[in-house]
Amino acid sequence: MGVLGVAVPERFGGIGGDAVLIEALMEEVGAALVCGPFLSSAVFAAALLENLGDAEISAKLLPQMAAGSLIAAVAVQDAAAAGTQSGVAPKARQKASGWRIEGEVAYVIHADAAHILLVAAETSEGLRVFLVEGNAHGLARSPLSTFDKTLRLSRLRFDATPARRIEARRETTEALANALDLVRVALAGEQAGGARRVLDITVDYAKSRIQFGRPIGSFQAIKHMAADLLLEVESATSAAREAARLLSMGSASAGAAVSLAASACGDAFVKVTADAIQMHGGIAFTWDHDAHLYLRRARADAQLFGTPAFHREQYLRAMGA
Amino acid sequence: MTSQTPRGSQEALRDEVRAWLHANWPGRDREAPHGWLAKVVEGRWAVPRWPAVWMGRDLDDEHARIVESEFAAVGAPGAGQDRTNLWANTLLARGTDALKEKLVLPLLRGEVGMCLLYSEPGAGSDLASVRTRADRQGDHFRVNGQKVWTSFAATADYGMLIARTDWDAPKHKGIGFFFLPMKQPGVQVRPLRQITGESQFNEVFLTDAVCPQENLLGEATDGWGVLQTALAYERSAMGEAARGPRRGMGQSAPADDPLIALAREAGAMEDPVLRQEIAKVVILKRLNTLNATRAKADMRQGTSSSLMSLGKLAMSRILHEEARVRTLILGAESLLDGPDHPRADDTNFLTLNAYFTSIGGGTDQIQRNIIGERVLGLPKEPEIDRDVPFRAVRTS
Repeated sequence: MGVLGVAVPERFGGIGGDAVLIEALMEEVGAALVCGPFLSSAVFAAALLENLGDAEISAKLLPQMAAGSLIAAVAVQDAAAAGTQSGVAPKARQKASGWRIEGEVAYVIHADAAHILLVAAETSEGLRVFLVEGNAHGLARSPLSTFDKTLRLSRLRFDATPARRIEARRETTEALANALDLVRVALAGEQAGGARRVLDITVDYAKSRIQFGRPIGSFQAIKHMAADLLLEVESATSAAREAARLLSMGSASAGAAVSLAASACGDAFVKVTADAIQMHGGIAFTWDHDAHLYLRRARADAQLFGTPAFHREQYLRAMGA
Repeated sequence: MTSQTPRGSQEALRDEVRAWLHANWPGRDREAPHGWLAKVVEGRWAVPRWPAVWMGRDLDDEHARIVESEFAAVGAPGAGQDRTNLWANTLLARGTDALKEKLVLPLLRGEVGMCLLYSEPGAGSDLASVRTRADRQGDHFRVNGQKVWTSFAATADYGMLIARTDWDAPKHKGIGFFFLPMKQPGVQVRPLRQITGESQFNEVFLTDAVCPQENLLGEATDGWGVLQTALAYERSAMGEAARGPRRGMGQSAPADDPLIALAREAGAMEDPVLRQEIAKVVILKRLNTLNATRAKADMRQGTSSSLMSLGKLAMSRILHEEARVRTLILGAESLLDGPDHPRADDTNFLTLNAYFTSIGGGTDQIQRNIIGERVLGLPKEPEIDRDVPFRAVRTS
């Protein structure tokens, strides 16, 4: 279906989809709780490569990524876990034999399955992004056990790891920020879509589960929770789609809209999945029921690429307040 | 309705409205001259969807909207009353010929003051449990009871009244719907003082008030059905209002958000905890605007939108949250009140007035029932008083 090439330009064999298409796709990803490196590779890594714009590397990697034969992971200190760690970015030094990277990055998403890594490292000229092969010498990938079992996280150690510097046609920080905006919109879509599916599941259950001789959804205690959750779901959907729309237009207010979506969707997904378990009762306390899978994803998503509180602060600043 | 008019008829109609407005309306955004509404009725623009016999033009919705948009373009009132005039629409749909003859056109001309006599002290959310009684005596009904939350009661000529006509029928099946003449000795109006100290509403005491037989709409025990017609017109008019220009609270851009202005003035924007609280409220407002935009887009595409019914619930939350955060910002200053302390006075007023939205027009709890049942399709709560003679229903 080509979805792995959604963020890859058509000239590199992708769909060249904009933020609106990616957000819509991610609503489905969230609804179905799709596992795997879609966000980390097909969105984040592809968008970062495209934004850096190294013609040779893009021509080499992006077609393979679009085809699904190459998985990439992005290792940027404080990106996936913005504000939750104060790690120091790895350092890159140029030797006679090429670039070498030293240091550590934690919270790297789906690095274990990646064939290549895009690593942000400090150079004497500032932050640059490097390409590191998955089987490079001096690269150690330590998987971390995670609360959301569908999310793989690793800590990466670089010990004189050979790397190739990716040429950038704009400031690295700007390329990173652009890619992160797209990732945050995509994640907001996943959160909105996931929240909507969980509410659907819960409402269906409330219609069919009989206690005291009537469906539990006829009790106002359940009905009122469902009504409140619908407001959360619709608001999250509005926020995610608006951020996608403004980002795809290159609007000056896209940054604020992304922060708004990131904070609103992050909170909404957690609220909806948490209340959904309560509304189900005992059945959702079992491992066999899917409800906890959604809560796990929601709690993970609310940490990735900045917490809702982080984005609320960003939103105020974007509004000049 | 003659809806098979050709495309070209839209342009012809537009030209006709424009020509008429050009000849009769004093100019863009000017005040309506004396007798304007009568002129609009006379020109057959007030109710173009209605039949010709009631000063309409039998237009379909598409054509009628053209009339409305041309009136709106020059700021002229009076068109589109076939959607927005609750009183005239209800009367035309369900009234007796005699009453229609007497009141429909004066209502369109704005010559008749109206009020609503629905709620009672014992019938708020549960409107079908009204206990005001209307007893038939010859050619009229004699009305006794008490109504509440009535705006404009003191100046109204008629009140749309629901009253119990059959105490042995189940509660929904023993109610009549009347146009009660308000200017008579049996009707006493007393202003109601709200928790904010203002008085926008009245209590209305009915003591042997007289209502002619011809002022009954529908059958004497089918008032609940007539009420549904009236409520549908009311909601439709309110929905239209919600589609209007952006204004009022919850719509303002964050940069000039009054909450942020207050926080700046009070030095609260330096406090990281308060910043989070402020951001939450500003974001709720923005989300409400985005939801409203999506609702409009849904409606333009003809898909029914669950977003419309969520707006009131969202607004309740915004108003209560904004008042709460204002209080957090002011701290001890919110102990004060009155014109010497305008920031506290505003905040205290907003704290109390938030209930206007979360209770008025259907409480948040009723709203959640409606969303749960009509939007999400959850089953209704069993109603233990539904098929019981009203006489036997328990009251507080």
